[in-house]
Amino acid sequence: MIQTSLKIALIVVLLIYLLCILRAVKRKNMRINYLIFWSVMGIILIIALLAPNFIENASNFLGFGLPINMIFSIAIFIILYLIFDLTKLITKEQNKNVLLIQEISLLKKRVEELENKNTKKSED
Amino acid sequence: MMKILLIIPSYNEEENILKVYNQIKKSNHKIDYVFVNDGSTDNSLKIFKKNNLNYVNLIHNLGIGGAVQTGYKYAYENGYDIAVQFDGDGQHDINYLEKICDPVIQGQADMVIGTRYLKKEESKFQSTFMRRLGSDIISFFIRICCRKKITDPTSGFRAVNRKVIKEFAEDYPTEYPEPESAVSLLVNKYKIDEVPVSMNEREGGVSSIRLWKSVDYMIKVVLAIIIDSISLRRRK
Repeated sequence: MIQTSLKIALIVVLLIYLLCILRAVKRKNMRINYLIFWSVMGIILIIALLAPNFIENASNFLGFGLPINMIFSIAIFIILYLIFDLTKLITKEQNKNVLLIQEISLLKKRVEELENKNTKKSED
Repeated sequence: MMKILLIIPSYNEEENILKVYNQIKKSNHKIDYVFVNDGSTDNSLKIFKKNNLNYVNLIHNLGIGGAVQTGYKYAYENGYDIAVQFDGDGQHDINYLEKICDPVIQGQADMVIGTRYLKKEESKFQSTFMRRLGSDIISFFIRICCRKKITDPTSGFRAVNRKVIKEFAEDYPTEYPEPESAVSLLVNKYKIDEVPVSMNEREGGVSSIRLWKSVDYMIKVVLAIIIDSISLRRRK
């Protein structure tokens, strides 16, 4: 069983964490999409802390040797999923970046050419 | 009269830019060219400006695939009928231009690849045994996946017609561009021909494929070929 003092400390940390998420969203540093994911994670952790029986029952039901094993397994899967999702996202952003660099570079060339033409005309 | 464009990707090739340019001017071919300066960190850009060359300056380094695609976009926007990929490091020989363009002009092929390996006596530079082995392995997998033999799939000396220019301007594989672009054309029923060309040993600069990286490169290319041959097929 977790000691009460540790429990309180953890809950305080989690609450601060939730506040951080809200602040990030407010400052437009995070999309609503991710807000839901991260706050659900925080809420689940708070529930786990407040109702340890629920965790124990669930882990017994699923056949884990220790409740902590279940928590670690779930955490690892969630992290794997997140990294996978981020890898996809990075690839998508990379492709967009390539497109932008190409188009801007071509546009710059055209602008320069047009400018040169104009200066020549005005000289004539 | 067909409008032909030479696309010359160039990354840190300050010693070779003028050599390549003079080679093109000397050859008396009436063709346009465009250098794509792939975010070089040396004096390339100054050389382009000083000599008033036609160039596109990429605002950030993209790698050979992204640079070449920029060239295809330029070719497409400016209405060229044929685009020829030509290395900026002096490896390719401009005298083979007609040979490589002819099948495309005649409409016999959508893409022509200049290959080092078709005739032994043609090429001074047959490249090393390891390179040859690598090409053979890539070639073998392309044959399995697309039922077509490409002897020199990593050759960057190639000519394409307007249809392929459009195709490449819209979508060009940027990770392993030479073999992957060949695969993407083959699975979409374009016709690829090969003509023997002679290539020179690299004159300065660093090859983009280093020896210690080649095994890693091979595995990824083969994987890319297999994936492309499945995923790039468009439903008709």
